[in-house]
Amino acid sequence: MKTLNRKLLRTIQSTRGQFLALAIIIMLGMLIYIGMSTAYKNLAVSQQTFYTENNFADYNFQVVKAPAAVIKSVENIPGVIRATSRIQQDVSIIKPGNERATGRLTGYSLPLDREVNRLHILTGRMFEQDSSGGKIDVLVDPQYAAANNLQPGDSISIVAAGKTIPLHVVGTATSPEFIYAIRDASSLMPEPDTFAIIMMEQHQVAQILNSQGQINQIVVQLAPGVDEEAVKKDIEKILKPYGLLASYPRKDQLSHAVLQVELDQLQKISHSLPLIFFLIAAAIQFIILSRLIKSQRLQIGVMKALGYDNFRIIALYTGYALCVSLAGAVLGIGMGLLTAAAMTNLYAQFFSLPQNIGGINGQVVVLSVLISLAFGLSSGYLASRSVININPAEAMRSEAPVTGRRIIIENWHWLWQRLDSTWKMSLRSIFRNRTRFAITVLGVMSAVVILVLASFFNDAIDYMMKQNFQEVNRYDYMVRFNHLISQREVLYWSQWDEVTKVEPMLEIPVEIIHKGNTEEDLLVGMNPAGDLKGIFNQKGQPLSIPEDGVLISERTAKKLGVQVGDQVIVKTKLTTGPARTARLKVLGKNDQLLGQGAFVSLKTANQVLGESQVISAVMLKVEPGGGLVLEERFNEMTGVRSVLSRQKEQQNFEELLDSSMAFIWIMMLLGGVLGLVIVYNSSIMTFNERSKELASLRIMGFSQREVSGLLVKETWFQAATGILLGLPAGRAVGAAYVASVSTDFFSFPVIIYPRTYIIASLSAVVFVLIGLWFVTRRVKELDMLEVLKNRD
Amino acid sequence: MAGQELIRLEKVSKTYLMGEVTVAALQETSVTIYQGELLVILGPSGSGKSTMLNLIGGMDKPTAGKIIYRDRDLSQAHDRELTSYRRQDVGFVFQFYNLIPDLTATENVALAADLVENPLPVAQVMEDVGLGDRKEHFPAQLSGGEQQRVAIARAIVKRPELLLCDEPTGALDYQTGKIVLNFLYQIRRQGESTVIIVTHNTAIARMADRVFRMRSGQISEVVANPNPLSPERIDW
Repeated sequence: MKTLNRKLLRTIQSTRGQFLALAIIIMLGMLIYIGMSTAYKNLAVSQQTFYTENNFADYNFQVVKAPAAVIKSVENIPGVIRATSRIQQDVSIIKPGNERATGRLTGYSLPLDREVNRLHILTGRMFEQDSSGGKIDVLVDPQYAAANNLQPGDSISIVAAGKTIPLHVVGTATSPEFIYAIRDASSLMPEPDTFAIIMMEQHQVAQILNSQGQINQIVVQLAPGVDEEAVKKDIEKILKPYGLLASYPRKDQLSHAVLQVELDQLQKISHSLPLIFFLIAAAIQFIILSRLIKSQRLQIGVMKALGYDNFRIIALYTGYALCVSLAGAVLGIGMGLLTAAAMTNLYAQFFSLPQNIGGINGQVVVLSVLISLAFGLSSGYLASRSVININPAEAMRSEAPVTGRRIIIENWHWLWQRLDSTWKMSLRSIFRNRTRFAITVLGVMSAVVILVLASFFNDAIDYMMKQNFQEVNRYDYMVRFNHLISQREVLYWSQWDEVTKVEPMLEIPVEIIHKGNTEEDLLVGMNPAGDLKGIFNQKGQPLSIPEDGVLISERTAKKLGVQVGDQVIVKTKLTTGPARTARLKVLGKNDQLLGQGAFVSLKTANQVLGESQVISAVMLKVEPGGGLVLEERFNEMTGVRSVLSRQKEQQNFEELLDSSMAFIWIMMLLGGVLGLVIVYNSSIMTFNERSKELASLRIMGFSQREVSGLLVKETWFQAATGILLGLPAGRAVGAAYVASVSTDFFSFPVIIYPRTYIIASLSAVVFVLIGLWFVTRRVKELDMLEVLKNRD
Repeated sequence: MAGQELIRLEKVSKTYLMGEVTVAALQETSVTIYQGELLVILGPSGSGKSTMLNLIGGMDKPTAGKIIYRDRDLSQAHDRELTSYRRQDVGFVFQFYNLIPDLTATENVALAADLVENPLPVAQVMEDVGLGDRKEHFPAQLSGGEQQRVAIARAIVKRPELLLCDEPTGALDYQTGKIVLNFLYQIRRQGESTVIIVTHNTAIARMADRVFRMRSGQISEVVANPNPLSPERIDW
């Protein structure tokens, strides 16, 4: 059907603005889909390959101290394929300038071939068992190396067992457990400046820590399909005598959990966000084609009279939709592959995964094209199906004018009577085209949802930070010690000029047990009269630390099924000394956005340990400008494990927020373009449909401005409805998203600042204005004579 | 001049529902049309002549009665059969030409030629209707007479058995109208098609082999004209 194809091309040409607009939406949908899906697949495949190649542990066990030979018994348990024992311990790193960092010493037995959680060398070479010249070879994680500018051959100093020991860096390496290297569950993000993974030969770790022949961790790989819980119990039985501190499956391994959350999020967004674009493109396509078919009713009648059957005519109009899809697909594949490469690269940097994770995923590309064509085909078919009902004889007669009917608003007399006639015309026109009205409103709404979501994450993070730094953690410094110390040892700190307030703290890792349920937590003992750390309940009201009894977090309470007034058992899990248990009455529930914690008075915490007056950390409030002097002083102290500076943490987060500006801009652009296309299409259709009516008004003496006004009113009525619905819808979508990705480790509050709503609304106003500009300038081109000449 | 029977209407009625009013456009009409004749259907507007043409052309189905085309009952035909009938056997010429605005003159004719196995050569037909030099123009660039000639070219390119013309000169001036009628007359002389012209212009009846006069949905009179005149000799 050559001639029909030509007609199709001409139709595309005469509606090129709308055609291009639609193709752009499809392109954006393809771009997001290909970009995100490819990044997801690359990351997921890379994760799986890396896990498999390096024997990533299925289960992790931590004990206070056990003889290295215990590994034999673990290996003999049926269901265990491999088991590796090792020592892992945090030590202080003394950086140039005496600054402190934390190094997580991790021991490896050579050769690594069959070990669990093997290393993957990124740069340099493997450490040797007994390096010549008495140097101790170590590998460090790439993030710490990059942040501290470490090269193979450089040296780092650590403090262990009271001695300063130099370590010889021979390269960088990663491992499945260190893909995302963070200190612990309460750190929200990596601290490459101050936290390092130090990988070295097992005997040398033992030597440094004076613990020859001993281990404190066992990592195992289980046979597929084995009863994980049963094997875990067997291993726990073996390890119990050695002070079992923790046992957790792969899904609770921190690096894995973070990576998995990221993967899940990516997969969710890669499925849902493009869908919005495809659906909107299909909906607009539907109304454009419906309109086109209506306006070409006569031509369709002629084609039928000539002998064209329904199938060929439907194929003609569906062909239009397919051409849009194809054009969008061609543009989208190119842009999508670029996006995929950029995103994959970004992820490779964010996570320590071997670099070669990029690549084009043919399946994703083909699938995206098929999705795009499927949407084109179905919207095209749905719209052009109406062709079947066109009777050629009737189509030849001019269509009866649309029956002027009353619309709902006319029943509200007080309102209707106050509207001028142009408003009445606009409103009647809107209500006559209800499908188009609904699709335009939905489209604008979706665009506004995307605009709101653009800033949603930043608002949530910003809120959490403000909450964290202003309400919860009001200290300037948190200094943690290597060991428990007596409170008296830091009394003199309050004499320092720079310090305005010192508050002691005792942090004890514990298990909270209630009715057979166990939950790991951190018991935090504080001075009830102190005010450097705030505790709040779910409603945001401050809680005070009880002299006796405990406040536990909502999250832990929920998991254990604990109510206020219940008794819980608290069992300590310190790496030194025997485990102790105590009964505490739950006096309240606190709600924390970040980190964990059950709160007691310092006195109660000491009682739990069977001590008095010991502390593990202090919080300090300092004079403005006094920080630097204090930091230097802390760096001199060997007993100090870590120094947390609120200012630095805050800076880190602000950098994180800044780095997410690109995301915001991209989302704003996506939302804006989507909105622009919808407004443009909707108003250009109104214009085309009513051009005769509008030209007649011009003949009657309406000015260009007044005629444009009609279009503007109609568009604004729809756009404003869309914007008003889009703002709360944006919040609802954000809340649904948060609910779908929340984990034990973190959850976002659903917080959207008024500023975000204002920005979203203003952006919407801008895209409506631009869309209208494209259309109203065509009012000038209205041909009044042509209108008079036409027969209908 | 009477050839074989081509199409026969048996008690054909057609009623339309206009809002809540039923309009009887054609009432129990029975008539026979013969192969190769030039038939003019005369009548004032609303007399049912266009309705009859649409029924004969397979564009519409009767409410009652039978339409027999060469032993095929069109009144019982499915949409698919009617489409095939229009494609293979019928050519239409409309009062307002009804060309496809985004196709050129030649392309409008090719649109019809594409439909059949053995069409006339498009270029030749364009020459025949005197549009050899205007064939790449779009309808909007052509005069009314030229557009109607394109429409005739589009109708005859398929070599239809039946050429149906609904007020073909209705929108044309006197001179142009004559040129268009002359084409139709020539087609009938060449004996290729049966030509049916619907008009309210009584003068045109003089070029016909037979004339049906219609009033209020019924044929009031059938007049045979043993000596049809060439349009050049007709004035109105």
